[in-house]
Amino acid sequence: MKQQLHANRIQLTYATVLSWTSTLGIIFVVAGYLVYVFQLLPSTVSPSEVAMHWHLRAAELHKIVPVPSGWDWIYQLGRGDVLSYASVVYLSSVTMLCLAVIIPLFLKEKDMIYAVMTLLQVLVLVFAAAGIVSGGH
Amino acid sequence: MINQRRCRSIGSIFLLSVLTGLLLFSPAVALAVQSQPPVQTEWWVWEIALFVFSFFLGIIAVIAGVGGGVLFVPIVSSFFPFHIDFVRGAGLLVALSGALSAGSPLLKKGLANLKLALSMALIASISSIAGAMVGLAMPENVVQLSLGATILGISVIMLLSKNSAYPEVTEPDTLSKILHIYGIYYDEQLKKDVSWQIHRTPVGILLFVVIGFMAGMFGLGAGWANVPVFNLVLGAPLRVSVATSIFVLSVNDTAAAWVYLHKGAVLPLIAVPSVAGMMLGTKIGARLLTKVHTRVVRKLVITLLAAAGLRALLKGFGI
Repeated sequence: MKQQLHANRIQLTYATVLSWTSTLGIIFVVAGYLVYVFQLLPSTVSPSEVAMHWHLRAAELHKIVPVPSGWDWIYQLGRGDVLSYASVVYLSSVTMLCLAVIIPLFLKEKDMIYAVMTLLQVLVLVFAAAGIVSGGH
Repeated sequence: MINQRRCRSIGSIFLLSVLTGLLLFSPAVALAVQSQPPVQTEWWVWEIALFVFSFFLGIIAVIAGVGGGVLFVPIVSSFFPFHIDFVRGAGLLVALSGALSAGSPLLKKGLANLKLALSMALIASISSIAGAMVGLAMPENVVQLSLGATILGISVIMLLSKNSAYPEVTEPDTLSKILHIYGIYYDEQLKKDVSWQIHRTPVGILLFVVIGFMAGMFGLGAGWANVPVFNLVLGAPLRVSVATSIFVLSVNDTAAAWVYLHKGAVLPLIAVPSVAGMMLGTKIGARLLTKVHTRVVRKLVITLLAAAGLRALLKGFGI
């Protein structure tokens, strides 16, 4: 029997968006890291300075060295460490992007249960990303 | 035939011995045991060590059929000088990036099911956020103690769980009917289409809440728990369970990762070499899959995992 694909249109759309955004994310993460460790751009905190304190709790490390966290880096994208951090933020946003894309498709197919469920899922992730439900500052 | 099997077993044991040796006799261990800041070692040595370590971990994770995330946190927190906050943050990103890169082909083939995953992930992702917040607020020794106990529990689950390739679900439950959770996929082993449906959906959702909480708290990938729940509780075929577990993992780990990002517990210096090493190792591991004795490696990995769990437990007790 010849293999037939059983994924529906919405699932295929999600898969295609996921494929592109995640590949881009991996490239972005590696590139950002290389820019940082090879000091191709100036950094807020050098790798050696971070390494001197990475045995401390996250909260303690942040009191000593101003490494990027949350969204406090957004206006300093020209710095190596910030660029590397931004790439990790992008990778953490990929699922949100993919889910957001399929909401209109569920609506178009009048599948209200999954349109609402996906919308709620995106909202949970957006609230987490905004720091509203994840203790951001 | 017997000689061939023996060679594969020896090869598998050798592979794991190399990894264990790398763990136990690397300079990283000597420093980590002292719990001192690694001032005398250049930072880039740690970066390379972490990349190489994650690479080997990626190889054995695929061969043993376990997620890299569950191995990463207990072992790296035991043998590297990074604080467990950052190791958990990196562990989540390791599991997340693995899930993102594996997700697309599984969805295209119809093995991962979007409706099944979305139904389980919504509440589980909220509990994952709660787990991450609790985990980052707990004192370090409590984290180590609970991590150790969890990892030992996971080792037992992995050792004892017997998956069912094609569970029989005679009557789907009401909730799964309302949510239209059923599907069909082409099974390459049977060379035919397999239809499936699920039961006990409310129980499954509750279990995913617990799994999400633990995954967020410890920064672990949760395939070790997702797959048995999909397969043994809900009655989804094993292939669908594995594939859909990856999708759920990508949603839950995204939610938890944001808590770690906001709490400053993600350092690219630790996360990126881990992600890159693990992904490269996973690709090599997939190629080696037919050349080594997977059952032997799986048992050895479970032993290694149990040892890491025990070590975390002892650290928690201050021993």
